[in-house]
Amino acid sequence: MPPISRGFHGRRQTEVDPSRLPPGQYATNDFPVLSAGPTPHTPLDEWSFTVGGAVKEARSWTWDEFLELPNEVVTRDIHCVTKWSKFDTEWRGVPVERLLEGTDPWGKFVVAWCDGGYTTNLPLADVLDGQAWVAYEYAGEPLDPEHGGPARLLVPHLYFWKSAKWLRGLNIGEQDEPGFWESYGYHNYGDPWKEQRYWSD
Amino acid sequence: MSHHTDGNAIAGLLEERYGTDMTATMRTCQSCGQEWAIGAHRLYRGAGLVLRCPNCRDLAAVIVEKRIERFGIWGEELV
Amino acid sequence: MTWRVATIRESRVETPQAKTLVLDVPDWPGHLAGQHVDIRLTAEDGYQSERSYSIASAPDAAALELTIERIDDGEVSPWLTEEAREGDQFELRGPVGGYFVWKASLSGPVLLVAGGSGLVPLMAMLRHHRATGSQADMRLLLSARTHEDVLYRRELDSSFRDMMYLTLTREEWDGWSRRVDADILREVGPGPEEHPHVYVCGPTAFVEEAARLLVELGHLPAAVHTERFG
Repeated sequence: MPPISRGFHGRRQTEVDPSRLPPGQYATNDFPVLSAGPTPHTPLDEWSFTVGGAVKEARSWTWDEFLELPNEVVTRDIHCVTKWSKFDTEWRGVPVERLLEGTDPWGKFVVAWCDGGYTTNLPLADVLDGQAWVAYEYAGEPLDPEHGGPARLLVPHLYFWKSAKWLRGLNIGEQDEPGFWESYGYHNYGDPWKEQRYWSD
Repeated sequence: MSHHTDGNAIAGLLEERYGTDMTATMRTCQSCGQEWAIGAHRLYRGAGLVLRCPNCRDLAAVIVEKRIERFGIWGEELV
Repeated sequence: MTWRVATIRESRVETPQAKTLVLDVPDWPGHLAGQHVDIRLTAEDGYQSERSYSIASAPDAAALELTIERIDDGEVSPWLTEEAREGDQFELRGPVGGYFVWKASLSGPVLLVAGGSGLVPLMAMLRHHRATGSQADMRLLLSARTHEDVLYRRELDSSFRDMMYLTLTREEWDGWSRRVDADILREVGPGPEEHPHVYVCGPTAFVEEAARLLVELGHLPAAVHTERFG
């Protein structure tokens, strides 16, 4: 039994609606910056976003074209596997189903791939039906590079390592291909409500 | 600027796992060939921990701590 | 490598932002200058946070001391610098670190380059140098914001004044008032031809820039030990 450090409580938010907090999480007002590597800096005039792989028709957009796409502002709670949750985060982004329109995918899996080499995998079904966006604004401002700008994937119903930063494309596949953290032992799916942090959870 | 520290920050974690100090251990990067102490490698904190060559940023090690029971490091899988 | 219980014996103000904690740790095995400890605080509801702090005291000192600089909105440092008092406890693991270490038995000159609170582990080295009567040519280059931010100011002035070079980045005075650059490093020395052991500690950006400048001046990368506080 470790000694109690009298009066210590950390920076957690203490007045919290418990029904919004998945098991093992605590709420924060901060927005911690986590990363597997250095922040990439792709100039916007060199940036493009691609949907490809097991699709009948691949699609690609420049930054200017991307900003012309129908987009929306959404407010969601986000949950990091390192145990912090942040409520009511506000994002502007393009719903992923919009990006897939007309591509006619026959694969059931997606790999999100990014500047800097990061990848993460998801079932295609988890990025459709209002569950995922490619987000480029946070709290009303252009998305900061340290938080994944110019654009990142936003999939709030899964642990936030699935919301890949510095996103450059979605590759549809017929096989499930574990991404970076998944291949090192993190859970393949990552549902915070089932506390799916590691591969054996 | 990306936020990172270095291998010194995980000296305790590595010593707990390997039974001895690891920060002074030299490692040759598979990518650029330079040799650096683990303590001088860049440490990134993501879902897990990532050590990178301080010269070329190539991946050196990934450390995943599962309930302080399991580690995967240097590409090896521990059960 | 076990977690021990540390009890605060005493706390001492160093600057408006920093305090030194004097600790009692049963069966403390002793340490080397430059090493650090991991500490773990536990809240009443079981919530825990871990951080690492460099040991400020020399291996030769009577008691284990850590110097903590308060980070605004920090998770742990506000508790350590503002709330914690004599008798309070936390867990401690260490000492750890074998790379960023200086021993008086090492021959050769030593250059210490500190950015802000990066001075803490280098102070352990300076104190060890003094305690052992080491004849090694040891020099400290300290970069701080203002005079008020200089840790251990009185001790540096009384015991280490002749070994010490100061640059302030946010205060005009009759010394250097700029970031560490090649000219400052050249003036402080020792040069690479003397093969000094170099130790650089402080925020990541400070350490990487200073290390880059030192290598550009001709120091071998392997001779420049770095510790990034992040």
